[in-house]
Amino acid sequence: MADPKGFLKNTERELPARRPVPVRIMDWKEVYEPGDSAVLRRQAGRCMDCGIPFCHKGCPLGNLIPEWNDLMWRGEGRAAIERLHATNNFPEFTGRLCPAPCESSCVLGINQPAVTIKQIEVATIDDAFANGWVEAEPPARLTGKTVAVVGSGPAGLAAAQQLTRAGHTVAVFERDDRIGGLLRYGIPDFKMEKRHLESRLRQMQDEGTRFRAGVEIGVDITWSELRARYDAVVIATGATAARDIPIPGRDLDGVHFAMEYLVESNKAIAGDQVPHQIHAEGKHVIVIGGGDTGADCIGTAHRHGALSVTNLAIGKQPPAARPDHQPWPTMPTLFEVSSAHEEGGDRTYLASTVEFLGNEAGEVRALRLAETEYLPDGRRVPKSGTEREIPADLILIAMGFTGPERSALEDQLGTVFTGRGNVERGDDYQSTAPGVFVAGDAGRGQSLIVWAIAEGRAAAAAVDEYLMGRTTLPSPVRPTDVAIGLQPA
Amino acid sequence: MLNDMRDRVVVQADGQLKTGRDVIVAALLGAEEFGFATTALVVEGCIMMRVCHLDTCPVGVATQNPVLRSRFSGKPEFVVTFMQFLAQEVREYLAELGFRSLDEAIGRSELLDVNGAIEHWKASGLDLSPILEGPAFAADAPRRHLRDQNHELDAHFDVGLIERSQDVIAHGGHVQIDLPIRNTERAVGTMLGNRVTLAHGEHGLPTGTIEVNLTGSAGQSFGAFLPAGITLRLEGDSNDYVGKGLSGGQIVVRPPKDATFDASQNVIAGNVIGYGATQGSMFLRGVVGERFLVRNSGATAVVEGVGDHALEYMTGGLAVILGATGRNLGAGMSGGAAYIYRLDRNLVNREALASGELELLELGSGDVEILRDLLEQHVAETGSTLAAGLLDDFEAESLNFVRVLPRDYAAVLQTRKDAAAEGLDPDGDVVWTRILEVTGG
Repeated sequence: MADPKGFLKNTERELPARRPVPVRIMDWKEVYEPGDSAVLRRQAGRCMDCGIPFCHKGCPLGNLIPEWNDLMWRGEGRAAIERLHATNNFPEFTGRLCPAPCESSCVLGINQPAVTIKQIEVATIDDAFANGWVEAEPPARLTGKTVAVVGSGPAGLAAAQQLTRAGHTVAVFERDDRIGGLLRYGIPDFKMEKRHLESRLRQMQDEGTRFRAGVEIGVDITWSELRARYDAVVIATGATAARDIPIPGRDLDGVHFAMEYLVESNKAIAGDQVPHQIHAEGKHVIVIGGGDTGADCIGTAHRHGALSVTNLAIGKQPPAARPDHQPWPTMPTLFEVSSAHEEGGDRTYLASTVEFLGNEAGEVRALRLAETEYLPDGRRVPKSGTEREIPADLILIAMGFTGPERSALEDQLGTVFTGRGNVERGDDYQSTAPGVFVAGDAGRGQSLIVWAIAEGRAAAAAVDEYLMGRTTLPSPVRPTDVAIGLQPA
Repeated sequence: MLNDMRDRVVVQADGQLKTGRDVIVAALLGAEEFGFATTALVVEGCIMMRVCHLDTCPVGVATQNPVLRSRFSGKPEFVVTFMQFLAQEVREYLAELGFRSLDEAIGRSELLDVNGAIEHWKASGLDLSPILEGPAFAADAPRRHLRDQNHELDAHFDVGLIERSQDVIAHGGHVQIDLPIRNTERAVGTMLGNRVTLAHGEHGLPTGTIEVNLTGSAGQSFGAFLPAGITLRLEGDSNDYVGKGLSGGQIVVRPPKDATFDASQNVIAGNVIGYGATQGSMFLRGVVGERFLVRNSGATAVVEGVGDHALEYMTGGLAVILGATGRNLGAGMSGGAAYIYRLDRNLVNREALASGELELLELGSGDVEILRDLLEQHVAETGSTLAAGLLDDFEAESLNFVRVLPRDYAAVLQTRKDAAAEGLDPDGDVVWTRILEVTGG
């Protein structure tokens, strides 16, 4: 095990510095400076190799965190990446994008700052790519079975990689023009440069996974045709239906969903011509919603050269430290200062948007908001008499996602949707249509990238068993599993 | 139940008991007392790190490190609350089962439904009927503890000793008692010691106040927990556990004066001599069994040979071994010291030697003086010819002794000594930090 007293010798977290704000908002590259391997080793040595490692449970992937922490501490990077890849197909994604429930559940976090697990993870995989240790693992023999994976986000890619390695012939369908789903068009480059995605896709291609971008199932091919053509189908289309704000002025020019803005921005950065791109340059930008998507909009708007960026959140400002009602090892809601917040802009809490105001040309010019009032029954309403107007040229709605788009699934496959709007599925990830499986946000509703990968892995195991009668693929989570939290009374 | 003895014993269940349901299941299986260990620790903040042995417990439960101890967040009230919840749940189950008290539930195993438990695939094929089914008993046959055992304490050997020592315990002075003893007499001296401790506290009486000279074979636990002020001298031999928990008293065991055998080659007492002793001294003329002085933390003992696993887990005190040892000497020994005559290194605990945790050293001048003094006492008390022979040529023979000393213990002693010389508080934070440094944490 790692140094038993490491956590006593090094009591603080040490992370790579972010590049200076004025410099980094001039480009789209990742915000972090390269890490120092001596610091990383010191941090890995803080892992206590717990008898009961709660990080195993905090992360739905069941990552063997103490083991690769120890290997990184010993400087055995190659063994570390093997251990890491054993449970996580894409550590280069999670190491950059995951909010790290593992660190929330880190035992050291009870009374000291938690181990910098995410940093160790990303350093492990970056080292491995740099050293050429990430090689294709094509199957030794093919089963002759074919699987279509619809959707190329983290859940679809994880399912595809697992199934390909198990010997099935897998085709991944993506309606966008490039593979990657949210990884491609949802995440700005300053959080994860696309080269990481490309490296991984190259590995998957070398393993035999086939990619079909620009094909929308239900439109270009019907779901029933797809089902007939493949031995099994995995729906990994995500929860892309955005939550709307049905208030006066919603139809004005300049009021957009966050995802419209981010996708176009990502396409432009990738070198595409984007006519009439939603752009923030010289505008007063308002981002509604205090989550990660909101932060992505903020960072993107700064880089676009926005005149001002204001972030509105309807709720109370979360506390900076873990509150009593969200005890260890649960993942608390905290006031976080992400790189985008650091770069500027205002964050307003208890802000209820009442109306979007436009000019004669039908363009948005201002936003009317009020202070949020909490009613005794828990509902949140605008407090009368507190309305005020703020100037707005571009309004981005980042209020979360309500579930998968129903598209043609219902009609063409006869799949059923749950009361929450997700695709109904059994304990084996199978939808009500036989041989059609559901993985990721499409079945769970919007969630974290680690849940997507975990579901992709587990659904792959279910597909393998469906096709072959048995499976040796790991199944880290059940469809009904939830993050560790307090049970409702 | 079959032998009509159930009402004379108390059955305690332990192991993974965590909920009221567990208690009820144990009661239905026949238990009437219930043990909780892990659960109570977890209630106090234990997170089952399983590093209790490393002194790195991050929540301050199992550690001596002041930094970590300050992180302990438990309160006694937590355990109280937990037990109240547990009791509440037990009552709810009792109500569901239609019992008025836990007593009524004890031994009613016919109420257990095991199907749910063995349906799990890991338990498939398990047949629990042998432990759940048996002969039928009358409805009024006792199913729990109802009759107390008569331990016949009023007929114990110590009753006579106490009677004859009463005056001395109350008013001081000196008493000598001479009696024969048989090996059916167990824990001789313990109740007498209890009276001394009750009257005089942990420091007892001046050495030699009560002298008991016995002849014959002593039963188990001879002189257990004996406090200062009592000397037990036994001419004959003794069973296991001589001087268990010795707390300041003195015990001498020697063969009969007219014995013709070589005492140094013959067994004088059994296994586990001086278990958990904290103070006092023992002089044993002869060889003793295994696990000699296990967990000794402060007593001094002289013996002429020992079996396997001697000095196991010792944390303090001093052992003088004048003859052969068994294998695995000093396993887990973290404190105290031993002087051993012609020690065979191959018999010392290998891991401790290899890792340097145990050091085998020559005797220093101070050690030689202590050894000489102890040998002289041993000769005076037991008439040992072996010790007398060593004293005859002491200068040469003392070179044949090896001092066994735990490395970290020595470092801690030295650090505290240096600190005291500097005028620092040996129990203070500064000294503690130094101790952590010299012992590697």
